[in-house]
Amino acid sequence: MSLVVTKNFGNPQSWTLDSYRAAGGYTALARVLREMTPEDVSDLIKASGLSGRGGAFFPTGLKWEFVRKDPKTPRYVVVNGDESEPGTYVNRYSLELDPHLMLEGMIIAAYACHATLGYVYIRGEYGLAHERTQAAIRDAYAAGFLGSGILGTSGFDFDITFRRGAGAYIVGEETALFNSLEGKRGNPRYKPPFPTNVGVWGLPTAINNVETLSAVPDIMRNGAEWFQDLGRGEAAGTKMYCLSGHVAEPGVHELPMGVTARELIYDYGGGVAGGRGLKGFKPGGASSAPLTPNELDAALEPKSMGALGTIMGTGGVVVFDETTDMVDVAYRDALFFEEESCGFCIPCREGAPNLVQICERILHGQGTMDDLELLEELGASMMASFCGLGQFAHQPVRGAARRFREDFVAHIEGRPIPAAAS
Amino acid sequence: MAIHSGAPRRATLDDAERPKLDQLRQALAPLRDEPGTTLEALYAAQDIFSYVPPEAVTLIAKELRLPESEVFGVLTFYSMFHRKPAAAYVLRVCRDLSCHLTGAPQVLHAFNQALGARVGEVTEDGLFETESVSCLGLCDLQPALMVNLEQHGPMTADKARALLDDLRARGAR
Repeated sequence: MSLVVTKNFGNPQSWTLDSYRAAGGYTALARVLREMTPEDVSDLIKASGLSGRGGAFFPTGLKWEFVRKDPKTPRYVVVNGDESEPGTYVNRYSLELDPHLMLEGMIIAAYACHATLGYVYIRGEYGLAHERTQAAIRDAYAAGFLGSGILGTSGFDFDITFRRGAGAYIVGEETALFNSLEGKRGNPRYKPPFPTNVGVWGLPTAINNVETLSAVPDIMRNGAEWFQDLGRGEAAGTKMYCLSGHVAEPGVHELPMGVTARELIYDYGGGVAGGRGLKGFKPGGASSAPLTPNELDAALEPKSMGALGTIMGTGGVVVFDETTDMVDVAYRDALFFEEESCGFCIPCREGAPNLVQICERILHGQGTMDDLELLEELGASMMASFCGLGQFAHQPVRGAARRFREDFVAHIEGRPIPAAAS
Repeated sequence: MAIHSGAPRRATLDDAERPKLDQLRQALAPLRDEPGTTLEALYAAQDIFSYVPPEAVTLIAKELRLPESEVFGVLTFYSMFHRKPAAAYVLRVCRDLSCHLTGAPQVLHAFNQALGARVGEVTEDGLFETESVSCLGLCDLQPALMVNLEQHGPMTADKARALLDDLRARGAR
């Protein structure tokens, strides 16, 4: 299978400009500037089916078209490298091993959007990614891929500023990221207006995930149909999936979008650690509700995950072996969201600690069956949260209480946790 | 919502440290005319003092022409900024799902036992403090931790104790 976003990872010094150019890097940009209009670029991306790899899966080409059509200037392209979803580390690999691929995609995005300014924002903890991405930006300037009159064109100027976060999951939310870029607390903003019209500094902004931009150069080279066909069924392209938890071999795998969890866990991850049985898995980070072994053959893509009442999310698959207490798993998720709620709106600020308390009651044998009802009610009220964090925070807890109800009931009734069926 | 402890708002710098404010003023000069640099300014203060003392908040507010309350608000929002003197080696142990399932609690316990300190307490020699932090994006290294920004994992209790010896041999920064 063709690799798109991880193809250079094995090359020596893959993060350097020399290595990237030896692998054909920046030739897609050169061709785009020579042969294509900005409209051609966004049309091609639209036709390819490329959608936002951060987990929202918004059509990338459409986003760029919206930005280009907004008359306000300057327009921005922002890279969202604030990857912080528990169980997810795909952008870290891209930024450490192939920052130029993301930059080439970003420069092509700027061309398609008529954008002249850009930010690369990377979470504060990714020290190695900071070093290598900053070096890549410096080298791209020196080689004429950034700055004024890029590659000798007249009129295509694009400048990038590098910024790092300082520890805050919420900043992965795009409007919170704009606030952080503006030097403020990372609270989210109202949507609408959407970032394509009112983004960073109130100006039209294409904000894209690292992985999304990394797919762009090869789509320019090989065409929309080629990328579309890399996915399974209707799903387009490849996706970087990553494995952690009770899996034999944690790691990153670029696979067709829509691969099954069974293939990912057993063929690529070596199965459950220690050869134990599988109790369940999370398809995409902490925000996703866990699934059971009966759902191993579902495709890891947004539509089929949505049909199961969970989300594709980030592709961060977390594996639970047969000894796992799923109430404890739900509790860990609740603790995470309690810590990371920004405190700006009430349903999330008050709801997340309540999730924690309900889980604690159940874990400590003080829960009742009413608590399971309460979880549902609390979840419904948290849907009124201002942004996605609060709207999703209760999903993994409620999802666990629905699909792994026996674990919750066992705690409530003071019985041992049942062993997994598989 | 994260309520991070240890937030003295009164002056904390002693006479020996006050000259470092001049150093900070110089570091802030290139940030003054670029909008949105509050986080970078706080990082600059932390690089100089190991934390962001109240005097630095006042200086940043003055230099960046912002209300002091706004700078303080940003400081308290982001978990990587310290508001009391930090250890030379901050051991950030991930506590989230994948690391938790694969032994993070034992690693944190091993550190705290070996150091005779609780989470967030700086050891008397000023070398170490542990933090129990949200997912670091190092799940392939589960259970993982960062020593400042350096990646470590997969960890065990034994490896944790060996890491302390290794860092002691490196000495203070």
